[in-house]
Amino acid sequence: MNTRTHPLLVAFAVLTFLFLVGPLVIIIGTSLSDTAFLTFPPEGLTLHWYQNIFEISAFRRTIMTSFALAVGGTAISMMIGVPAAYALARYRVELPKFLGNVYVLPILIPEIVLGFSLMKSVAIGAGLPIMTSLLLGHALLVLPYCVRVVGASLNAFDFSIEDAAVSLGCPRWKAFFTIVLPNVKAGIIAGFILAFITSLNDVSVSIFLTGPGVSTLPIQLLAHMEQFFDPTIASVSVLLMFVTVGVMAIVERTLGLTFLTK
Amino acid sequence: MVPFRSSPRLRAWALSAPAILLVTCFLLLPVFSTLATTFGDPEGPFATYAAYFDSRLRMRVLWRTMEVAVITTVISVIIGFLTAWVVAKTPGRLKSLLIIAAVFPLLTGVVVRSFAWLIILGKNGILNDFLLWIGVITEPLSMLYTEGSVIVAMVYLFVPLMILTLVGVLEGIPQDMTDAAASLGAKPAAAFREVVLPMAVPGLIVGSVLVFTGSFTSYATPQLLGGERQMMMGTFLYQNAMVRFDWVAASTVAAIMVVVTLTTVLLMSRVARKLNPVAG
Amino acid sequence: MTVSLSLDAITAHYGTTKVLEDLSLHVGEGELVSLLGASGCGKTTTLRLVAGFLEPTAGTIMLGDRDLTRLPAHSRDIGLVFQTYALFPHLSVRDNVAFGLKQRGMGTAERHKRADDMIERVGLGHLADRYPANLSGGQRQRVALARALVIEPPLLMFDEPLSNLDAKLRVDMRVEIRRLQQANGTTALYVTHDQEEAFSISDRVAIMNAGRIMQLDTPEVLYSRPANAFVADFVGFENMIPMRVISEAGDAVRAEMEGGATLDFPKDKFTVPAQDFVLATRPEGLEVSTTDWGIPATLGLRTYLGRAYQYQCMTPAGELKANGPLTNPLEPGLHVNLVPQPEQCCLLPAETA
Repeated sequence: MNTRTHPLLVAFAVLTFLFLVGPLVIIIGTSLSDTAFLTFPPEGLTLHWYQNIFEISAFRRTIMTSFALAVGGTAISMMIGVPAAYALARYRVELPKFLGNVYVLPILIPEIVLGFSLMKSVAIGAGLPIMTSLLLGHALLVLPYCVRVVGASLNAFDFSIEDAAVSLGCPRWKAFFTIVLPNVKAGIIAGFILAFITSLNDVSVSIFLTGPGVSTLPIQLLAHMEQFFDPTIASVSVLLMFVTVGVMAIVERTLGLTFLTK
Repeated sequence: MVPFRSSPRLRAWALSAPAILLVTCFLLLPVFSTLATTFGDPEGPFATYAAYFDSRLRMRVLWRTMEVAVITTVISVIIGFLTAWVVAKTPGRLKSLLIIAAVFPLLTGVVVRSFAWLIILGKNGILNDFLLWIGVITEPLSMLYTEGSVIVAMVYLFVPLMILTLVGVLEGIPQDMTDAAASLGAKPAAAFREVVLPMAVPGLIVGSVLVFTGSFTSYATPQLLGGERQMMMGTFLYQNAMVRFDWVAASTVAAIMVVVTLTTVLLMSRVARKLNPVAG
Repeated sequence: MTVSLSLDAITAHYGTTKVLEDLSLHVGEGELVSLLGASGCGKTTTLRLVAGFLEPTAGTIMLGDRDLTRLPAHSRDIGLVFQTYALFPHLSVRDNVAFGLKQRGMGTAERHKRADDMIERVGLGHLADRYPANLSGGQRQRVALARALVIEPPLLMFDEPLSNLDAKLRVDMRVEIRRLQQANGTTALYVTHDQEEAFSISDRVAIMNAGRIMQLDTPEVLYSRPANAFVADFVGFENMIPMRVISEAGDAVRAEMEGGATLDFPKDKFTVPAQDFVLATRPEGLEVSTTDWGIPATLGLRTYLGRAYQYQCMTPAGELKANGPLTNPLEPGLHVNLVPQPEQCCLLPAETA
């Protein structure tokens, strides 16, 4: 309380935050530029590049694919991950200790190795359709967030409440949905959001699993950058930033931002 | 339902089964198959590795990746720690705002964030425009496709992660600790050196491991900002697999990546445990 | 070196909220004074002010002839024992205890020797190399004590030091704290919300409420002669009966309580302090009796206390608690009189609201 932060340190922090926010501001500026190549600051303003997103069919399609994939993959992962997290928290004695670490493997194994291996064994080896492989790959990729974040809420949950419900005559499965789930809602929302964003932004797994006719937005962006270097990319980026803003608004509303430093 | 009711053990495994199945079928088996491929060379189980370590080009990719990852980690730790220190001491609303400013880039995709540096560092990029304008240079510099450009973008990628991790760590150090140090006569600098810093070390290690493994295995950033010239392990794997269709070579790169990341994680978590008697 | 601590007219704020108002307190040389009160009464704030973690908005803090008021915390030379113990988790017991000596520039060998001596004194000689995480609550408490004592501070301060221990250990530790404090003759300020703890180890106790000291005196006086209704209530005078003097007849004062019942107070046994006053008693200070003097009451629920029976009694002045002898259990519904026992009653001036 009587220690004050050194002014040089404060200046340093200010610079850091300029460094963090600046590039994103530059993207926004570029997306509004009326020149056909990337410049900043823009010479004149136009919304042409935003219009472009919807005119280039590849962007239209991949935006749809990416959102479907993020929602679908996360939903699958939640359906699989929440019961697993529940079992870990509830049956500590019955399950081996290392099981918790098994679910975190998708983070521990380098993503690009995972993508490559999935392509080799699942997409080509087992001959699964592209969309199916992508869904499975993304469900796997986000499983750690579902298990861990929901698990953190479950660990804080007092299971005697569930036992109380059962002792009052509530069947076990019903107690799970009416007693346990509402109490770990925050964890489920947080897990869903983290998983959704991870899936939406994924490059390393998707790049191996996309194929003719089916691509995701980040992969399409990479491909587009290699051929054309126009502000459409910037406008798509701004679009993605809006998604981030939306996500952060949800986090703020439901959990508060302090959640993010824990 | 009847067998479920009879045994908690069975219930536990039944609930875990789908997740275990997912990880086994789509992670463990495929990754093991990738690793197994590398030992299948007719000239002996380790022939592919011998070839890798013999090749000057391939070793350069490995060393470059190591170098970039280490430099990125060191810079991120320094920037992250100093900034987190200020953020942790900032009161109320301003602190929330700073945390938003750190989280926002983190939730924005890797492609978007790497793209920003393409605009900034390009031949006709903002930085060149600016330098030309103030007259420091007369010809635009080629800053893209260098190790430096990759490192700058990677630091940009990982500093927010470091800040958030360390703000959590620093806030987790109770006020009582610094108060106790002061009551025992420690000046603010001594209290920082002898109490705050040692207590933050485990968190620093966790953050460093995240940054190191993240940058060691990254793909999009070296692809966009390093290109062919600054090939790194991630881009090298992709090139072997999808351009040259040499899956054995790609698998070898994959195996080395797995070994390096797992070794780092295991080693560092042991170090962290040693330095952190609280957990012991 | 024994010195006294003086707080003079201290006012303190948290933001715009006033938490202490014009508080003065003197702790004599070698004396142990407790600050006792519910949470939010300002006792911890007072301690943090003396420690230097907070700055007062007005007033001065003197330790001996040193003015502490604007001195940074690390220059105050006060041994402080925290409620959470605040042991450094990354340092062994020995290094925790030696920490303060290190800050004073003492060499390694010398400070380890002194730390070990102190660790021995608090009975943890065999644990010097352990880390705090591997100690029990009571052991941590001893380390915290050793760490505060080893710097030989002129003033020791305790912030609810025993509240994280179980009941048995609490009693042992407070005896230990008192013993060490007296052996060194160190002046001490002790903060607690536990009345028994404060009374058992203090020379004097300050009972605090809403940022002010309500009464500062020896435990004996506080226990038997509270100066006001707040303190009376705090030390267990469960019956508080507002009364008003209506007449003086010879050697007694007649007063009326709510509901119209009157009671005569013989002048040789009671001193009536004002026109409006409060008759405050513990349950054992009201005797259930069938004589005709006293507060008319109807007995209600009877509970067994081990040393007596306690009755919930309905009276014109509301529900009161009174004790009756074990030899004669009485049935609910009985009409009796409750007789105030002069040596266990206080007549307090009514609070001016």
